Amino acid sequence: MTHPTGARINNDLIRPLLLTSWRFYLLVVFFGGFVVAGVIAWISQMYYGFGIAGLKWPIYWAFYVTNFVFWIGISHAGTLISAILRLVNAGWRRPVTRCAEVITVFALMIGALFPLIHLGRPWLAFWLFPYPSERLIWPNFRSPLVWDFFAINTYLTGSTLFLLLPMIPDFAVVRDKSTGLRHRIYRVLALGWRGTPKQWHRLESAMQIMAIAIIPVAVSVHTVVSFDFSMAPIPMWNTTIFGPYFVAGAIFSGIAGLLIAMAVLRKFLHLEDYIHPVHFENLGKLLLVMALLWGYFVFNERLVTYYGNGPAEMTVFWQTQRESFAPLYWTMVTCNFVLPVVLMGIRRFRTIAGCVIASFGVILGMWLERFLIIVPSLGHKYLPYSFGSYSPRPAEIVITGATFAAMALLYVLFAKFVPIISIWELKAGEHPSPALIPPATAEHRLGELHL
Amino acid sequence: MKAVYGLYPDGQSAQQAVNRLRAAGLTDRDITVISAQPMEDFEFGRMDDSTWMWWFACLGGLIGMSVGLALSWYTATAWPMNVGGLPTFAWWPKLIILFEMTMLGAILATVITLVVSAIIPRKGQTLYDPEVTDGKILVGVEDPINVSLPAIETALSSPSGARVKRTF
Amino acid sequence: MPRWGMAADLDRCNGCGACVVACHAENNISTVGAGEAARGRAKHWIRVERYWEGDFPDVRVKFRPVLCQHCDNAPCEPVCPTYASHHTEDGLNAQVYNRCIGTRYCANACPYNARFFDFFNPSWDKPLHLQLNPDVSLRMVGVVEKCTFCVQRINAARVQAKAEGRGVRDGEIQPACAQSCPSRALVFGDLDDPESEVSRLSRSPRGSKLLEDTGARPKVTYLARQA
Repeated sequence: MTHPTGARINNDLIRPLLLTSWRFYLLVVFFGGFVVAGVIAWISQMYYGFGIAGLKWPIYWAFYVTNFVFWIGISHAGTLISAILRLVNAGWRRPVTRCAEVITVFALMIGALFPLIHLGRPWLAFWLFPYPSERLIWPNFRSPLVWDFFAINTYLTGSTLFLLLPMIPDFAVVRDKSTGLRHRIYRVLALGWRGTPKQWHRLESAMQIMAIAIIPVAVSVHTVVSFDFSMAPIPMWNTTIFGPYFVAGAIFSGIAGLLIAMAVLRKFLHLEDYIHPVHFENLGKLLLVMALLWGYFVFNERLVTYYGNGPAEMTVFWQTQRESFAPLYWTMVTCNFVLPVVLMGIRRFRTIAGCVIASFGVILGMWLERFLIIVPSLGHKYLPYSFGSYSPRPAEIVITGATFAAMALLYVLFAKFVPIISIWELKAGEHPSPALIPPATAEHRLGELHL
Repeated sequence: MKAVYGLYPDGQSAQQAVNRLRAAGLTDRDITVISAQPMEDFEFGRMDDSTWMWWFACLGGLIGMSVGLALSWYTATAWPMNVGGLPTFAWWPKLIILFEMTMLGAILATVITLVVSAIIPRKGQTLYDPEVTDGKILVGVEDPINVSLPAIETALSSPSGARVKRTF
Repeated sequence: MPRWGMAADLDRCNGCGACVVACHAENNISTVGAGEAARGRAKHWIRVERYWEGDFPDVRVKFRPVLCQHCDNAPCEPVCPTYASHHTEDGLNAQVYNRCIGTRYCANACPYNARFFDFFNPSWDKPLHLQLNPDVSLRMVGVVEKCTFCVQRINAARVQAKAEGRGVRDGEIQPACAQSCPSRALVFGDLDDPESEVSRLSRSPRGSKLLEDTGARPKVTYLARQA
């Protein structure tokens, strides 16, 4: 196996920035079309009234909040995984961290959009912001939605900076390797980066501190998202397990998203020399662990409900086990547990293709999981007279589809303008001096790969 | 700006150049080293070993926490509202705000420290050569005062593979 | 301060629905039309729940009027990020439409499903648009609305009583639903006044609260059916 070094790393990773093929424009137009459709759907929802969505009494949260939780979950791919790998100094992280951190930032942006989309009066969303207003009234800090605002604000700020800081030296590389307008743009972006020992040292210290800070923030974000449900006295919502359950699910779906992104990047940007099967293998193992953890949490949640046998809880319980939501529920269990455990548990299937198939299953399964947490409980809340069922209408479906396209579009654009693998971190991993490698990692050198 | 610098193909020769400059009477403050990647395997790559960034991060966290506390305390008591029988200033929910604001403060303080201390270009520190990007390591001296130029050039050119350049 | 509450005698309720109509008329609740109502967008601040017991032909039907219970520990209140939903001094669970940004969190947190979201701007079939109550504000698209215990009548009675230099008398305030109930199943009044009819009924051994185990401490007492 060849290991690209110095100049070759520069060339391979800057090539996508300097050369543009028609495929790029095609992708932008394709995904952009879906995004435009989604924007039109949202504008018409504001123009005609919220009624064009499928929401109804008493199911006031459905697709939009599902998407919100789902995308915030996906965002745990990145920063959390790359921060943990950074802290434990896993050498194989180097080609993976940036594509993971990008997922975080974009998924958070998309996820944070959904509380706006789902608002009855989105033009007043700034009332959640604690500013002194002429209304003389502040946001209610006892509301989980305000906690959401603060948690997502911190996480988005932190993960954006976590992504941006290690990009500065790479912008300097592009600055040195490009000419004309591109050179001028990247000169500004590089912020006069030179690469003195002081700069490197402080950058790495800063990344270390950020990694330590961002892990508890990421955990808190999805816990706070779970509080949106567990704070309400609603059957099967009001449970203490939701915090860790949501965090585990978030990391689970995040790894799946990262695996898909890595496979796509590897194929289309020809990064076979950088993203190796061993990366898929390692992340596949992580996916397996999270699938087992997810199964454990679901079992806990279900068993406690079943044993408690409260009438309100059991109504929701049976809805998902054998009544109207059962097909979705068992699809979810298959996608989230059976599929990844089989594919990732058997060594022969833990290939790139196997990882991608399992990841698509997990993405679908985790989306269904959030839907099945939200809708059956709202539709079967205590008084049988007010039971209801929900089905989405075009506005919700189009907006949901558009967010997946938006993710792809943002990713394509990002890979066009920023080296998708951190150049300097890859170079720094080229020749690890024996003194810097702790004995424990020396045996885990991943076969031939001395990354 | 007046500067002399050498470009070196690897860390060893760069380390030699740094050592010879020191032998010629220059201090670490006067020596500029530039590389395309962290060179912590070598002694010159660890010229800056300050660790006070942590203290700024902690300070930022404290400031963030105080802001969070002040904000939630003031807003809860400025117009007390009864919601669901909760106390006006409910500690448990406020802990979430305090935590998030602490972390935000720590993160912002870290980034501000980094930008101010290491990224904003200093006056008289503009030595650079785009060849660094291709893997060369630059060792040089900007505006030499105490040591004569020829002495510096000799020191820079002695390691193998060195290429010495001047800017005037 | 009074603590407003209600008692609903299920023995007396015959499910006629007069309370629902009266509430619509009094509180300017827009009618959404048959299509939207079938889609689940109807807004009835008070509804008469019908439950059947037994198998045909031995069927017994039970009625239960359900409205906002104005809970003391209302789950809808703390979850609102903008204080649109909050507790007033006299124990009412208030909804400030102008402050509502439409998160619908309160409606989800309400165990009774007593809160309703406005999916469209309000409209009325002619000639209903000519009978709007000037004392009640209209709600625009995107806010949550619910039973207020006819707060406009409470305030009017309080102003009247103050002008006459006396306290509000028991029975002086009648929400539209209680006023229109032909069998007098709904009784409204001050729960803190031990002499009032509503507090007497609330202490009845037949009385119970709806979904008491959610811990919401509702202020509507249902008197169990005996016949």
